[in-house]
Formats: sequence, structure tokens, C-alpha cells
Amino acid sequence: MASLENDQDTILRSSIDRSLRHPVMFFFTSGAAWLAVAILLGIVSSAKVHSPDFLSHCPWLTYGRVFAAHESALVYGWGCQAAFGMIIWLMARLSRQACRNAGIILTAGHLWNLVISLGVIGILAGGGSGMPWMEMPTFTWFPMLLIYIAIVIGSMVQFKLRPSGHTYVSQWYLMAALIWFPWFFASSNLLVRGFDGSPLGATGVNAWFHSAMLLMLFAPVGIGMAYYLVPKVLGRPVYNYSLSLIGFWALAIIAPWAGLQKLAGVPVPNFLPYLGAFATILFAIPAAVAGINLLKTAVGDLDTVNKSPTLRFTVWGLVFLMVFAFASVMLNLPSVLKLTQFTISGYGYDVLGIYGFFSFIAFGAIYFIVPRVTRREWLSRRLITSHFFLSLYAVGGIAVITLFGGLMQGVGAENLTAAWEDAASRVQPYAVFTTVAWCFLLVSNLFFFLHLTLMWLRLGRRSSHPTLLTHEHATSPHGPEGDIDNAGPAVH
Amino acid sequence: MQDPHKPDLDDSLNVTQSHERLLRDAAAVAREKRVNDGGREPVSNWIFVTGGVVAIAAGLALGQAGGLFDYDATVAPGYVRRSLDSGEDSGPPPVDALKAYMAKGEKIYSKCVGCHGPDGKGGGAYPSLAGSEWAMGPTERFSMVILNGLTGPTSTGKEFGVMPAQGVGMSPTDLAAVMTYVRNSFGNEKGEVVTQEMAAHAIEISEKRAQVGTPVNKGELDSDHLQDLEGAALDPTTKVDPVSLAPVEE
Repeated sequence: MASLENDQDTILRSSIDRSLRHPVMFFFTSGAAWLAVAILLGIVSSAKVHSPDFLSHCPWLTYGRVFAAHESALVYGWGCQAAFGMIIWLMARLSRQACRNAGIILTAGHLWNLVISLGVIGILAGGGSGMPWMEMPTFTWFPMLLIYIAIVIGSMVQFKLRPSGHTYVSQWYLMAALIWFPWFFASSNLLVRGFDGSPLGATGVNAWFHSAMLLMLFAPVGIGMAYYLVPKVLGRPVYNYSLSLIGFWALAIIAPWAGLQKLAGVPVPNFLPYLGAFATILFAIPAAVAGINLLKTAVGDLDTVNKSPTLRFTVWGLVFLMVFAFASVMLNLPSVLKLTQFTISGYGYDVLGIYGFFSFIAFGAIYFIVPRVTRREWLSRRLITSHFFLSLYAVGGIAVITLFGGLMQGVGAENLTAAWEDAASRVQPYAVFTTVAWCFLLVSNLFFFLHLTLMWLRLGRRSSHPTLLTHEHATSPHGPEGDIDNAGPAVH
Repeated sequence: MQDPHKPDLDDSLNVTQSHERLLRDAAAVAREKRVNDGGREPVSNWIFVTGGVVAIAAGLALGQAGGLFDYDATVAPGYVRRSLDSGEDSGPPPVDALKAYMAKGEKIYSKCVGCHGPDGKGGGAYPSLAGSEWAMGPTERFSMVILNGLTGPTSTGKEFGVMPAQGVGMSPTDLAAVMTYVRNSFGNEKGEVVTQEMAAHAIEISEKRAQVGTPVNKGELDSDHLQDLEGAALDPTTKVDPVSLAPVEE
């Protein structure tokens, strides 16, 4: 009887996966394509920092436009779409409800890509707003909000209809992100673009929005996904479940206050930037609580962590989360804030958050989810390891180099008696390294995109054996012939 | 009574086999591990200690904030240098005298741009400063024109309208700077600095004129003011403070 229940459970879960196959695969593959676009633009914009004449003849490719397009493609093309894919799949799984509006989600996903494309082209054509992470022209934000609602409304309904009883911590995180995103996205855009307020006020709202995207969308979705993946793949309960709830509520209380530290020294009420710095430093607590809790869960079975593509990415994403937490503290101490405010370290912090922490967990999630929704196994162990190592070293390098380089730049800028040019030229070697690192990321993402596209085309391995990152075919419990199609003809 | 868990049987279907196939088809889902419980492992004290350290760091930041929800205090402490400290951090770096006088003079010349033009060529109803004999010649004559204005013919003999006096509220520094600027711009290349000391003398002379408050004319300039102003010459490469224009000891 236990076995029958188990089978029925498997059938339910596989039917949930089946129902979400097209929207999830669409979000992941188009997100990966946007990631490639973002990286290309990142290479160009980073190259301009150390070689200002690079591609400077073309007004479409001036630094201000390319950098803004790079960030928008990274945040809205890749980050948001990866988040959407994770949210709709995980919420359906945890609420044990099959998706009933896949067609609407898929249509909305196409529209999202259309709006982001128009927005990025708008930036390159010179229509950018000049506000970080809100760069896309004004016509984009309201459609984006409507499309977002069309994508996630089903997940909210699924949460409402979930079987009564336990609510897992990942659902808390996902619900928080689902509610927070429309709140801060709509209010920021209304305040900045809708009403004719003071430009200084708009700058403050923009700084808050920038922080909210990281701490109130990417952080909860990434942490929520990690809380699912680590225990699930290891088959071990979360180290301390109560701690995970404390971490969630700490994030919910702290995150909305962060962001205005960007305005330190600006003639806004003095308490605002320091309140922002206070909250951003405190963000380290929920981040570290989630990181430690899951890393403690993972260290019990490092062998599995090492072999599973999902866990390798997820666990390193959690390590980056710890570094991100540390950087949140260090960059916002009042004495350091002065130094780093106008330097490349802010960019390093963003890359650390969105690529180091969030994207690594998103990659982990993709390596977990895609075989389930396509019913095919990943084709190549080597493609996965190449993707992993290139990403790990490049992102780690960018994070360390820009954070440290920003500090050096800040020390130079503080020196009154030296020309500003000296401070700017201190950035040169770090900028060269960043360009090289983005090139490595481009290669790594091409491997990933190729692999994902093959999976999308249902060209994955038909096998009951997972693709593990191990060389030991001979000692594999599945025998040396792990790649053979042994599932028999498909039954639908 | 039928078991609701059992599938509806069909003669043509081998239930066991198709069931197994279904599970194999969803192999990735079938092999998932089930975790129904949250862990209750003890939380290390280090987590609380670390949290405390972070909270203290955050408190330090909040301490800078002053009164919370105080919308009047808008200047963060430490962000405005009220005075330049002594030692290494002693204000803007010194620059060459000629460069410093020129930079200051260029700002003051903005008052002259309306008539004499940004290129100093004047044009139409206004005389040119570029290559002007009076601008380039003895400094006392030039200073009197600036301070008191001019009526009648100019150095070229041509008559323009009356130039209004510019001396009201003009400090010696301003006068020295604008004279140096005119004498070294628009193609003029005197290469000398009219010092603050010289300009102070010019203001004194101007105040002692017979007809104070009226514009000078060619006759008065030629008879009373055809000389250089008194004062020690300043080497154009001397390092001076760009704000006060005072020479800096190095």
C-alpha cells in the first residue's frame, strides 16, 4: 500500500512537471539567451572603462548606453525570467497543484521578451532614463507589471489551494517575493515616472528600487529555491528548520529599509542614507542564517554535493550568498561607505548578488528542473563541468577584483591633493581583469545555452540514470553503461 | 466495493507493465527523495555571536544618522570639509601664477563678454581687445579704462559709444586677474602677470583722479597714465594658491 501511495505521488509530481513543461523551458532558455546578450554588452561596456576609444565611433555603442543595456538585459532578461521559471515550478510542486494556465503564462512570457527587447533597443537608441536598473524607457514598466501578474497569478492561486497543513519555508520566501515585487516595482515607477516630483526624490526612490530588486526579489527567490534543492537532492532535512523561519522573518523586516545608503552625502534628510546602510548591514543576518543553515545541511554529504550538478551550483551559490552578506556589511560601514560610494565596488556588489548568488542557484535549479519537465537527462557531464568552473572562477574573480578595486579607487578619490584622474586610473588593471572575466563567462554561458537548447528540443538522453559529475563509471551503481537508453518505448 | 486507489482496469492493458513504464518515463521524478521533516539540529553559538557583531556594525551606521525622522538635518557629518586641515591635506594644489590668474580672470571676463565677445574681438559697435595697443601697452593706462570706463576715441582712433566703468566692487585680485587674462588671451601673448599689488595701486590712482566717477578719455590717459603700475614683477611660473592667488612657499 505504501508503494502504491508512493507511485501515485510520483504520478502527481510528474503530472505537475508535465503541465509546466513549456512555460518553464521557455523562461529558462530565453533567459539564458538574454544572459548571453547581457554578457556581450558587459564585455563591451567593461572594455570601454579601460579603453575608452573601443567602438566609440558609434553613438549606439557609447558607454552610457551599453552599460545600461547590459544591466537591463542581465536583470530583466535573465534574472527575472530565471526567477519566473523557478517560482512557477516550485510553487506548483510545493502546493501540489498542476498548472492550469500554462497557455497564459507562455503568452505572457513571450510578451515579456518583446517588452524587454523593445526596452533594451530603446536604451541603445538613446531613450534610457539614466536611472540604474530603471533604465528602460517609460513605456515599458506598466506592460511589465501586467505581464508579471499574468505569469504569477496562477502560483498565488496554487498557494491558496494547497493541501492544508504544513507550509514549507520555500513557500514563504516565494510568496514574499510574489507580493513584494509588484509593490516596489509599481510604487517606484509611479513615484519616479508617474508623478512630477523632485528629481532628488526620484534619485532616492531609484536607489531604493535598485536595492529592492536584489534584496526583495532575487534574494528571496534564490534562498527559497536553495531551501528546496539542498534538502531534496541530499534527502536530508534542513539543518535547523526553526532557524530558516527566523531568517525569513528577519529578511521580511529588514529588506524594505535598505537602499538609500547610495545617497550618503546628498542633501536629503540625514537619517535616510544611514538608515539604508543600517538595514543593508543587517541584511547580512538573514542571508548568513540561510547560508549557514543550508551549508550545514550540505556538509553532511559532500560526496553527493560534488557529484550532483544541481548541488554543486546551489552550494556555491550559497557560498556566494555568504560573501554577499559579508560585502553588505563591509561596504556599508560609515567609514567605508565614504570610500566606495562612487566606485566600481557597487557594480561588484551587484554582480556578486545577481550572478554569484542568484544565478548560481538558478543554474542549480535549472539542472534539477529541466530533466523533470522534459523527461530527458542532461547530455554531457563535460558541458556541465565547463559551465561550472568557468562561471565559478570568473564570477568569483569579478566580485573580488571589483570590490577591492573599488576600495583602491575610493582611497584615491579621497586624496584631495591628487588629480581625479589618478583615482580613475587606479581602476585600469581591475577593469582589464573584469573584461577578461566577462569573456570567460561568455564561453561558459555558450556551453550552458547550447546544452539547455538541446534539452529544450527534447534531444536529451533517454535514461533512468541522472547525469552526475563523476568519472567513476566502473563503480557507478548503474554500471559502466550509464548512457544507454534503457527506458523502453515512451508511454503517454 | 472498489478500491479508489486502483486504476480502472482494461483487458487490453498489462497494468503492471504500463505502470512501470510510466514510472520509468518519469524516472527523474520517481527517484526523488522525500523529506517530510524539518531538522532540529542545535544552532551553534557562533551564529548568534556573528549576528551580534553584524548588529553592532549596523548600530554604528545608525549612530551616524542623528535624529531619526528628522527631516531638517540634511548634511551628513564628515561629508563637508569646513576648513582645510594642515599638513598633507592642505587644500587645492598650488599652480603656476600665470595659469591661476588666467583661470580667475576668465571668470571675471564673463562680465565683459556681452560687448567684447567671447573671442575678445568686439565687432560692430564695440572695439576689439585682441591686439589692442591699450590692452597690451602700459598697465596703468589699461587699468584706468577698466576701472572708470572710456569715452571718445580708442587706441585705433575710431570712436565707439561710452564704455561704462567696471571698477565698482572690483577687488585688486579681480582687477589683476582680468588684466592678466586679457593681456594673455585672444592672441595676446604678453606672458606677464599683473600682480595684486599692481592692481591695488591702480585702484588708489583711480580714486585720486581729478574727475572721479567720469569715464577717462584719450587726452587724460596720454597725459596722466602713460606708465606701468608700480609693484614687483611676479615670475609667471611662481606657484600660487589658485583661490587666494598668494604665492606658496614650497
